[in-house]
Amino acid sequence: MEQTLAAPASEAPGAADIAFEQLYRSSRDDVFAYAAGLLRNRSAAEEVTATAFERAFRKRHRFDPRRGNPRAWLFGIARNAALDELRRGKRQAELTEEAQDVDSPSPGHLAEESSRRATVRAALAGLDSRERELVALKFFAGLSNSEIAGLLGVSESNAGTRLHRVITKLREACR
Amino acid sequence: MNPRNEDMTMDPQAERELEALEAALAGKPVDPEHADLAALASELHEMRVAPPEDFAAALDEQASTGFPRRRHSGALLGGIADRMRGAIPRRRLLPALAGATAVVIVGTAVVVSSRGGRGDDQTPTLKSASPPQAAQEQGAPSAGPAAAAPATGEADLGRAESVAPIPPDSGGVPLSGGTGAVPNARNRQIERAAELTLGTEPEQVQDVSGEVFRVVGRHRGLVLSSSVRDGAEGEAGADFLLLIPSSRLSSALADLSALAEVRSRQESTQDITAPFVTARENLRDARAEAEGLLKQLAQADTEAERESVKAQLRIVRGRIAAFRSQVRNLERRADFSRVSLSVVTGDESVVVPSDENQWTIPDALGDAGRILAVAAGVALVTLAVMLPLMLFGAAAWLGHRAYLRRARQAALGG
Repeated sequence: MEQTLAAPASEAPGAADIAFEQLYRSSRDDVFAYAAGLLRNRSAAEEVTATAFERAFRKRHRFDPRRGNPRAWLFGIARNAALDELRRGKRQAELTEEAQDVDSPSPGHLAEESSRRATVRAALAGLDSRERELVALKFFAGLSNSEIAGLLGVSESNAGTRLHRVITKLREACR
Repeated sequence: MNPRNEDMTMDPQAERELEALEAALAGKPVDPEHADLAALASELHEMRVAPPEDFAAALDEQASTGFPRRRHSGALLGGIADRMRGAIPRRRLLPALAGATAVVIVGTAVVVSSRGGRGDDQTPTLKSASPPQAAQEQGAPSAGPAAAAPATGEADLGRAESVAPIPPDSGGVPLSGGTGAVPNARNRQIERAAELTLGTEPEQVQDVSGEVFRVVGRHRGLVLSSSVRDGAEGEAGADFLLLIPSSRLSSALADLSALAEVRSRQESTQDITAPFVTARENLRDARAEAEGLLKQLAQADTEAERESVKAQLRIVRGRIAAFRSQVRNLERRADFSRVSLSVVTGDESVVVPSDENQWTIPDALGDAGRILAVAAGVALVTLAVMLPLMLFGAAAWLGHRAYLRRARQAALGG
């Protein structure tokens, strides 16, 4: 979806706001899913999602379409917010042993969950942060390989190779 | 090799598996060979966590109100920067900065103009006196047109019109009686001089010269010297040295300027209050000394004593005469302005406007140049102050960004 957040001066006032609202509607759940997948903590994911949209809204007039699509731009902001939260979470984790509530299904859901999913969940829990971020970007946020490459600052083939390594690791863990 | 820039070559099997992954995510059929991969992709996709409804509703509410600022919005510096940007939107900041710049420029222009930005120099200026003038200032008596000088009332009025800066060496010198009062504008002695060059045709030099005499007479001035030359263009001409009552200098110059084309005009002023006050004090002291000697003479008992006092009295009277001459000479210099007038033929000089009170295009260009120079100076000083601060700020900002980037990568890598 090609969007632009920077409205020309000739357009009616608020065009950038309308474009941003469209971006918000189409990306809200994806940003949350990415943050939750990376941080494995719902409240932290909520904080990151809110912070990301707040920052993006403040910076919406500075968006340059020549440097990428709005979705990739938004995920760049969300990633910085998530990594900041990850840093804070690590500092806090050193003091208190914080539960990773996203990976742990509630007791009600536990009975319904298939053994296959439990295996995948366990495999996911074994990934490190970099690997988990790749999974979150690809499968939870639904970013393409080229978008992931742009976000991580690597080539598209490099991003594909990294992704393949993670998938291979998950496959092996699930066998 | 930096893993961020590493260009990995993917093997064909990996490429096929990634294609199968994409197909599975897009809901397309996948080769049975990659069925487990497709199942894993679907499973991962289904494990995606949706935002809680209450959170989604609260975020929607924030979105509808333009994401009002919350308390916890990231790193300290980033938060401050965001807050500043939010407090002063760039679209409002630019006009405000432009307005502030305009105010500074206009203020500078007003200050420069109020300091006397006119092209013509109406303000009395202190210039170094020419050698003869300097000699006169030191008190050497000189013959002058004292006898022809008109009543001094008019001259005093002229002096009262001018306000000259108080020279450092005359500040606090009392005009009379040692009262300690600083001479005010009305009591200051200002000497004026002017140089005027008129251009005309060779055959009109005689007529113009005759008019010069008439103008000088009309203004009760004196022609100290005159020289009129006939000849071809460039050779014919005339030179005059005039004394004009200072109170009528402006009107006399205006009349003289009307006689022919003004090629150049220059006026100067000099504050001679200090030597005037000194001469008057010396005169008063000498008179007091003479009165004392006269008393001594009246009380002298012997002839030898009387002769001695008379000898001193002669010396003191000589000094009184010299000081009186100095005072009169300085008064004349203040009362009469020396005007050097030349009448030339041919294109020798640049034409200047005859009416000095008019603000002309060259004056405006001069003013504009001065304003630009002052504005450039202000900008340069501002830049000198701001540049180190900006460089420091930029270095701090870059350092913070580099730190943040490393810290974020470390958060993933740890």
